[in-house]
Amino acid sequence: MDRRKFMSLSMVAVAVLPASLSAIDFRATKPDTWTAHTVADAIKALYGDIKPEEKGVKVKAPKVASNGGAIPVTVKSDIDAKTVAIFQDANPEATVCVFDVQEGGIVDYMAKIKMKKSGKITAIVEGTDGKFYAGTQSLEVALGGCEG
Amino acid sequence: MGNMKIKAKLKGDVVQVKVMAKHDMLTYDQAKKKGIDANFITHISASVNNKVVYDVSTSQFWSKNPQFKFSFKGAAKGDEVSITWTDLKGNTVTESKKIK
Repeated sequence: MDRRKFMSLSMVAVAVLPASLSAIDFRATKPDTWTAHTVADAIKALYGDIKPEEKGVKVKAPKVASNGGAIPVTVKSDIDAKTVAIFQDANPEATVCVFDVQEGGIVDYMAKIKMKKSGKITAIVEGTDGKFYAGTQSLEVALGGCEG
Repeated sequence: MGNMKIKAKLKGDVVQVKVMAKHDMLTYDQAKKKGIDANFITHISASVNNKVVYDVSTSQFWSKNPQFKFSFKGAAKGDEVSITWTDLKGNTVTESKKIK
């Protein structure tokens, strides 16, 4: 290959790389979040001392979950988000997952989660405006899923 | 055939992706009972055309064989969605699927 061409090609590769590596591993950057036992502690470990507004975030989950081993939870929001975190207060640790919202990403996430007993799911959305928004949903779990 | 079942569909300008990954997702409690090490998926990432479109750090509280859905903008029919997960033991699996 022509040397000059090769150089410019590798320059492009270097320029492109950081964009694809923009993802954040919250397990590495915020280790305390994953061992916190209460929702309040977990939020504090992840975001610091925040007072989220209770609006703009929709958490959808069945009112009564027959199987606590796989509860479909949907989090939706029209807010321009930077991160979205899901917590619950039924399991030994509070944090379920933290999404790092990408450019072009839409806050419409569904995931099946486990819950040991009835409890409340809390979703926190960190907006690109620096504000925090919260949504909650309580549900009954007929058969706990954590003990398998 | 493989570890993941992936469905990616373009609707208007939004791509909807549905995934089911095969993983035991053993919590610390469950693993203790069975006398083996806990192991669960800790990170899932999806990209299209070398651009990350979905990225999540997960805990042991996702269900066994976790299913998840997400949507994003900025891809066309025929583009490939590539999804990678990593678990606590460091195993990774990457699979991709063309957007329909």
